[in-house]
Amino acid sequence: MAKLLELKRISKAFGGLQVIDGLDLHVDEGEIVSVIGPNGAGKTTLFNLITGVYRPDGGEILLENRSLVGLPPHQITRLGVARTFQTLRLFLNMTVKENVMAAAYGRTNAGVLRSILRTPGQRREEREINELAEEKLAFFGQRLMGYRWDQPAYSLSYANRRRLEIARATATGARVLLLDEPAAGMNPKETHEITELIAKLRTDGGYTILVIEHDMHVVEGISDRVVALDHGVKIAEGTFDEVATSPRVVEAYLGTKATATK
Amino acid sequence: MDWEKLVQIIVNGTTLGSVYALVALGFSMVYGILKLLNFAHGDVLMVGAFIGWGVLGRLGGSLDPTVPVVLLIALMMVASMIGGGFLGVAIERFAYRPLRNAPRIAPLISALGVSFFLQNTVLLLWGADFRSYDTFDLVDPFTGLHVGVLNVWIIRLVVIASAFTMMLGLYALVKKTKLGKAMQATAFDREAAAMMGIDVDKVIVKTFFIGSALAGAAGVLVGLVFGQINHFMGFNYGLKGFTAAVVGGIGSIPGAMFGGLFIGLAEAFAAGYISNTFKDVIVFSILIAVMILRPSGLFGKAAVSKV
Amino acid sequence: MTDETQDLPEGPDAAARPRVGVDEWVERVAGGSEAGWQGALRARLERVPLWSKPIAFVLPLGLFPFFTGSDYWMQVGIDTLLFMLLALGLNVAVGWAGLLDLGYIAFYGFGAYGFAFLASGHFGLHWDGQWVIPIVVAATVLLGFLVGLPSRRLVGDYLAIVTLFFLQLFLTILLNADRLSIPFKGQVDFTRGPNGISDVDQLTLFGWRLDSLDDYFYIALAAFALVFVGLAFVNDSRTGRAWRSLREDSLAAELMSMPVNRLKLLAFAFGAGVAGLAGTIFSASQGSVFPANFDVTALITLYAMVILGGFGSLSGVAVGAIVINLALELLRTPEKASWIFFGLLLLTLPFVIRPLGRWLAVAVGTVVFGFVVRALSEQFWERGVEGTTPGLARIDRIVDGWVLVPADPDGLAKVGYLTLVAGVLGLTLLKGWWRTAAFVPVLYLAACVWENVMVGQPAVARYILIGAMLVALMASRPQGLFGTARVEIV
Repeated sequence: MAKLLELKRISKAFGGLQVIDGLDLHVDEGEIVSVIGPNGAGKTTLFNLITGVYRPDGGEILLENRSLVGLPPHQITRLGVARTFQTLRLFLNMTVKENVMAAAYGRTNAGVLRSILRTPGQRREEREINELAEEKLAFFGQRLMGYRWDQPAYSLSYANRRRLEIARATATGARVLLLDEPAAGMNPKETHEITELIAKLRTDGGYTILVIEHDMHVVEGISDRVVALDHGVKIAEGTFDEVATSPRVVEAYLGTKATATK
Repeated sequence: MDWEKLVQIIVNGTTLGSVYALVALGFSMVYGILKLLNFAHGDVLMVGAFIGWGVLGRLGGSLDPTVPVVLLIALMMVASMIGGGFLGVAIERFAYRPLRNAPRIAPLISALGVSFFLQNTVLLLWGADFRSYDTFDLVDPFTGLHVGVLNVWIIRLVVIASAFTMMLGLYALVKKTKLGKAMQATAFDREAAAMMGIDVDKVIVKTFFIGSALAGAAGVLVGLVFGQINHFMGFNYGLKGFTAAVVGGIGSIPGAMFGGLFIGLAEAFAAGYISNTFKDVIVFSILIAVMILRPSGLFGKAAVSKV
Repeated sequence: MTDETQDLPEGPDAAARPRVGVDEWVERVAGGSEAGWQGALRARLERVPLWSKPIAFVLPLGLFPFFTGSDYWMQVGIDTLLFMLLALGLNVAVGWAGLLDLGYIAFYGFGAYGFAFLASGHFGLHWDGQWVIPIVVAATVLLGFLVGLPSRRLVGDYLAIVTLFFLQLFLTILLNADRLSIPFKGQVDFTRGPNGISDVDQLTLFGWRLDSLDDYFYIALAAFALVFVGLAFVNDSRTGRAWRSLREDSLAAELMSMPVNRLKLLAFAFGAGVAGLAGTIFSASQGSVFPANFDVTALITLYAMVILGGFGSLSGVAVGAIVINLALELLRTPEKASWIFFGLLLLTLPFVIRPLGRWLAVAVGTVVFGFVVRALSEQFWERGVEGTTPGLARIDRIVDGWVLVPADPDGLAKVGYLTLVAGVLGLTLLKGWWRTAAFVPVLYLAACVWENVMVGQPAVARYILIGAMLVALMASRPQGLFGTARVEIV
């Protein structure tokens, strides 16, 4: 399978702190790769680098062999990489449907003038955006459907907000989804649903997915491959079982045995 | 090379800069703690100027003061500082505190409202005429420092000296006292400070008091040096003070002091050598340049926020 | 329970697919809405179709000229319409995109002066309206774009101050560019300084010369209606959604494919264009332009309109403009000012002192209190009733026998005013019956201060009221009358 997203020797430092150091990572088309690691390992920074929020100090980021480094974030999204956020960043005062419709900006082009004049082309495009939003929201079953469309996003429950954020990301037309702790704060039932959902995103939606997660049930349930980071460096890569039992990973999470004193 | 003109400009610039620095300090302190630009700050300066003028009038006026000049000026300063301080506290309590958790735009609009209210209150009660401190009657314009090309009227020295003393006092307060530490902590992370047992509300009140007291004092200084005050004067000093705070690095006390002097000198040089009517344009351009090239100011720390 | 959950038909392999559940609790509560008559009213209002809103404005306003023959009121009408137009434009940058533009009035002035440059005796150019207006609007759009450039890096308060500075700059240039020394040309009078340009042409559109106030009124109304509809369409389109997303969370918007910087510039430019249009009509209808028309006072007044009406709502800001403009008009002279003052009290206090019974008690109590104080004053402090109020409205004459009107009020005026401010602030700190009781003396004092100090200078007093209104509104209802309450993560 072709490498869809590829990071080569990526580095990033903030002040004196080297947050990511010489990292190589790739995601093949249709793969689900999980990134794990203790807090502060540089996982969210990784997402920020890929999506253009930060610029890497060194290295390359390639989407289908096209460099993403230096491009403004909105363009990277248009090229095919969309993300969700660890701390949820919805457009709270807009309706559920509007949140999703807004993300379709990059794949539409009716300008201000055409909007004022309500040209047939613009109206058609609006209908298409509308249908697109409904389609993306339908992915989540009944939870974000019907009466929910016109409710402001702030009225949603926490789990629904997470789902909405994913729906919004899919509306951008991206092929690669970066999900930042999608199961954070969810109870076991919701976690199970999210796991199924991510799998469904790949099978039915055809998305290539890079997931940051702490919940090992989710990681185990969905990953084709797992990458473990610690202090900005890759310390293990492989299947879930390989990584979970890797001594370096265990050490990163649990620490080393104290040397016995004599 | 007209040395006398150059010296005069430097003196003017330093005097002006000292006033701007005092205003900038108030802005910086409040911004550091509340992340709020206190639009009404310039009007506190204006009120301070009027308080000083009021005290001057009560004590016989410039022509025939009933107390020695030094004491008179000291009383004017103290009155304006106390008045300004309490005004600042009232503004915080009634116009900003209810909006701690409101959308960001709310305290800004509230500040505009307060500013409007203060200006027009003074206009209503004291009229639109310029009031004069008549400083020439109070202090003979020829008393001062006269050394070679240096001809500095003593009032300007008084202004510079008072401003510097207050700034040093403030610096000592922030660095050496417990209150100062509390202020720094609250500015850094309000919630964490509260959890560490700091009474955040009290710290904020005290910060406002000090910052506004400085503005009040600056008002009297302005009155002494420039003679004329009116209800609208706060606006300009507010803008310049803000510029100084940003140029120096908002949230930083040495930054505000430096920024004030920088802007004051820049204005004086612009007025003296380029154009007096368009000196504000030049100051504005400096502000834009700093904001674009070095947004955290000359002394400020770049804010890092977690995405 | 509803059937909504059965709306989407299940696919043929529904049994095999994972069931991504249903939120039962929410379903049950789904039909619920805001309680009482407010909820019903809001629900009705929301179902009103889009085209009815501009009609609701245009129809009554269109009939307005038939109700008044006076030139003065026609001019007020035109001014109001222009402010409504400005409010719409300001709404784009501030209400939708969330960019605080405190220099907005400069665009108005730019449009006005632009018209004056191209159609007046100043430079000797007398171009027709159909050329001047598009050119000036385009130039203002360009200016808006330039002013918006700092917005890419600056947020919130910083942007506010920079734009305010820009306004200052604009005014400085207007006031001082009458003596510009340009090399090779000598002294040039660019803007005629503080005296403004007084020989602006009347507007000529395709041969039709607008020479009566009625004409300008209808032109302004037409401009308002067109801009209203245009902006409503934009809001409901991809650009409108993008602006609102950028206000909500600009980083998330950028990452969801929206080019935030470009959108900010677009918002600035758009708002500027609307202001430029309003400026041209202003210039033509007045026949003259002065720097004083575009000062900070005008800016804050405009903001008061938009805030009262409610940011983000087109109809809201238009209504806000009407209300504030009319109030300011009536507060121009002592003949009508008191109507506004007492009217304001009567309208707003029932919402502050609830329930209605308590408010009636306060009202009656205040009246009685007043008479008592007055009687005591007649006995023990004659000076307190010897003066007369400067107010000239009928209502002033009515209350003249109720409030204290000291002779030579000067020093007392200041004391009274400051005590009133302290009293009002103190009221916000009290609760329960203490508060209700305290209302009585404070209200009486307010009436006294108004009748003695403020009614004589209504032009200043009105700005005091506006300032106070802004503070009070932010503390109690930041979304204004017609805006929707926003949720924000601080």
